[in-house]
Amino acid sequence: MRDEERRVALGLAVAAAIALAFLPALIRTLLADHAYWNQIYVWVLFFAMCATAWNIIGGYARQYSFGHAAFLGIGAYVSTLLYLNLGVSPWIGMLAGGIAAALAGAIISYPCFRLRGAFFSLATIAFAEMLRVWGELTDRLFGILVNGARGLVIPPVGSDFWAFQFTEKASYAYVAYTLLLITLTIAWAVKRSRLGYYLAAIGDDEEAVQSLGVDTARIKLIALLISAFLTAVAGTFYAQLVLFITPTRAISLDLSVQMVIMAVMGGLGTVFGPLLGAIILVPVGELTRAALGGSTLQGAHLIVYGVILMLVVRFAPKGIEAFVAGAFRRLIAAIADRLYGPAKAQDDVVNAPIIQLPEASSSLGLQAVAGGAVPLVLADVTKRFGGAVGVKGVSLTVQPGEVVGLIGPNGSGKTTIFNLVTGYLESQSGSIAFAGRPIAGLPPHRINRLGIARTFQIVRPFTSLTVAENVMVAAFPRCTTAAAARTEALRCLAFVGLSHRVDTIADGLSTGERKRLELARALATRPRLLLMDEVMGGLDQRSLPAMIDLVQRIRAEGISLLIIEHKLKVITSVTDRIVMLHLGEKIREGAACEVVSDPLVIDIYVGGAAAVR
Amino acid sequence: MPGGGAMTELVIQGALSGLLIGGVYGLIALGLNLVFGTMRVVNFAQGTLLMVAMFMSYWLTAKTGLHPYLTPLLTLPALFGLGYLIQLWLVSPLLAREKAREPMSVLLMTLGLSLVLENSALMAFSADYKTVQVGQTNAVWFIGDYIISIARFWGLLAMASTVALLWAFLTRTDLGRAIRAVGQDRQVARLLGIDDRVIYNFAFGISTAIMGIAAAALLPFYYTHPAVGTTFLLKAFVIVVLGGLGSMPGAALGGLAVGVIEGVVGIFTEAAMAQIVLFAVFVTMLFFRPAGLLGVERK
Repeated sequence: MRDEERRVALGLAVAAAIALAFLPALIRTLLADHAYWNQIYVWVLFFAMCATAWNIIGGYARQYSFGHAAFLGIGAYVSTLLYLNLGVSPWIGMLAGGIAAALAGAIISYPCFRLRGAFFSLATIAFAEMLRVWGELTDRLFGILVNGARGLVIPPVGSDFWAFQFTEKASYAYVAYTLLLITLTIAWAVKRSRLGYYLAAIGDDEEAVQSLGVDTARIKLIALLISAFLTAVAGTFYAQLVLFITPTRAISLDLSVQMVIMAVMGGLGTVFGPLLGAIILVPVGELTRAALGGSTLQGAHLIVYGVILMLVVRFAPKGIEAFVAGAFRRLIAAIADRLYGPAKAQDDVVNAPIIQLPEASSSLGLQAVAGGAVPLVLADVTKRFGGAVGVKGVSLTVQPGEVVGLIGPNGSGKTTIFNLVTGYLESQSGSIAFAGRPIAGLPPHRINRLGIARTFQIVRPFTSLTVAENVMVAAFPRCTTAAAARTEALRCLAFVGLSHRVDTIADGLSTGERKRLELARALATRPRLLLMDEVMGGLDQRSLPAMIDLVQRIRAEGISLLIIEHKLKVITSVTDRIVMLHLGEKIREGAACEVVSDPLVIDIYVGGAAAVR
Repeated sequence: MPGGGAMTELVIQGALSGLLIGGVYGLIALGLNLVFGTMRVVNFAQGTLLMVAMFMSYWLTAKTGLHPYLTPLLTLPALFGLGYLIQLWLVSPLLAREKAREPMSVLLMTLGLSLVLENSALMAFSADYKTVQVGQTNAVWFIGDYIISIARFWGLLAMASTVALLWAFLTRTDLGRAIRAVGQDRQVARLLGIDDRVIYNFAFGISTAIMGIAAAALLPFYYTHPAVGTTFLLKAFVIVVLGGLGSMPGAALGGLAVGVIEGVVGIFTEAAMAQIVLFAVFVTMLFFRPAGLLGVERK
């Protein structure tokens, strides 16, 4: 984007914000049934607030919560109870409700975040339903009247700012507008911060994020706290708007589902998507209800929501934000051209096809920071999967600066060893020590922080992030600012020879490039020991020498290496020592040329495996 | 306060009633499990499809006087076709696109479908409870001091025979074996010449048809209502997680267990409290043994 375009965009945004702020006044003067339209506008703002708050955990991190109405209900009830019993202003109750909801979020996060995908969703439904039913059955809580399913009425007191009540309905629009602006600003700030990068990466592949030294449970918890707080704030607003709350309405599954639908339709994980979803869905739902006549039919708008959700999931799975944003960009460019003259033609070098790989930078200068290499020692490690043996009594050492190859047929336990060392699996017996410190049982991110990095056999780039952002996620824990993380990322990308792909979305990389990206990511965590799982696999003969060269250069940085590899020629050319596994047991160990020419090893690799047992 | 002996009797009676309705719960969970076991996707519309089946049976009974237990003769083929088409038109295109092993987009798609079906039913049939009175509705047997509702007993029997039939189908027929093969590894199944897409269509169709049996079993003693699906869907989730994902006997036993929990808890407190207990069991299970009591943990 040009500077001129940025100026235009900012101008448009401010103009739109001001125009929207005056919309209630406009509605009042222009429309005959202004009360009705004002009400719809308020609901748009309210749902935009909820969906934006939901999106921070649901969209950014792809943790599809179907129980967010619970936070809304908590917000509504806490502020209302404080007001009714202690006369505390709902403005203060709003913050108290937010804190209460965040606390509730912290409590349910521990069981819920252990679950993935649909099971996380089901668990959130269960918690919200429990809260709803319990609320419906509870008349008094510690002596305080909560009135069960009959709900609580907030007595009207006329216009009183302190009591959060207004007779002029447009005032609610101004309040909702302000709250929405705050919510959007927070959502935007989160998206731009390192938290936002972490969340996006978690949404793509949580396990891979852990391998980069990031405590994903903590990151998800922080996002949930923010999301729960903001949803509860919306809950207080809801209570003050309708002045009547029941568990059945406030904590309804329908309400949770509507937040999800608006965010999905607008664009999961985008800042403005949920707002767009609300802008479209709320009026459409409202008009449907009006057209089909009758307030008794509560579900009429849900038919439309359901149809739209199905269409979006089928035909625009990324939501409509992308289209709208594209149209806006073109509009902004057109305005900028008008105001400042046409843009100078730019050389689009970023995505130009590259025939020749650019010269990879030769050194990363890691020795200085790595603090010296240290040994990895596995002693008598055993891992069983149910009845099957993964690894049995394996002892193995990687000395400082050494390059050890791990070979063996499929199913011999190589990747299992990697998973044990990096904390993705826990052994039943034996010990694993790094730098003399036992590491078995530590979570993956802690092990990475100690200086062990890994790549995955099947590469796992964060497909929604750019190449540079992929590596930034790995660099963040050691950098104070985003700029520093990007500089570090660019250095690592230059080292592996991916400088020409920096701003490409990682999904568009070839297999060879993905393998390099994964190495750059691992290197950005500043490892002292690097575990490489078949980084040569799937490469053609032409790309092989470059990858071997890269491995040599990583070694020259003073990093110890443990390498899983099938290509024996490769492994003899880069390793000092080879460990051969078969059926989970170590059967040979020694210098590369010796092991490779061992008749037993040849027998196992080429055929006649039965001879061993 | 009843004495110790009377209390025990009450608890046994509660457990017995719960066990019997647990049969129907098991049937719904069976449908959910068949789809999950084959495709690794959660069908959010399972409860709503039960609601559709119940309305089909209800109208057949109301208009033609057909006994509810005979309605599956007509509803099963229709429901199978409905499920087959849902998979073909709505779910398959998503599966072809998704790379993830447990695609969330299918959950969203079926959620959309259930919103449409449930709220359309609400508009078309209103929120009134509809019930059917047949000979079995209020008939009971006495075994000693205990009361057995005959309609519920037939429901349990329907579940048992459906499980047996389905089991025979999955283990003895080519199509059944193909369904299991695709569930275990769709890539390998594909290499062996099985068209996994067609298998999915059949699996979804059968899963929907099972709702026809559940509906017929429910009709004599349960109300038909547009929102009936949500109640059963949430219970079915609990059952599936309790019994084990993808496990047929797990669905059956989980259904009975949930019925018993409900029946017994309902004796001591309000019936709605049983829901809280169920969800607490559910969350605890998810937490400590996500694969369920009879499920197999995957590596």
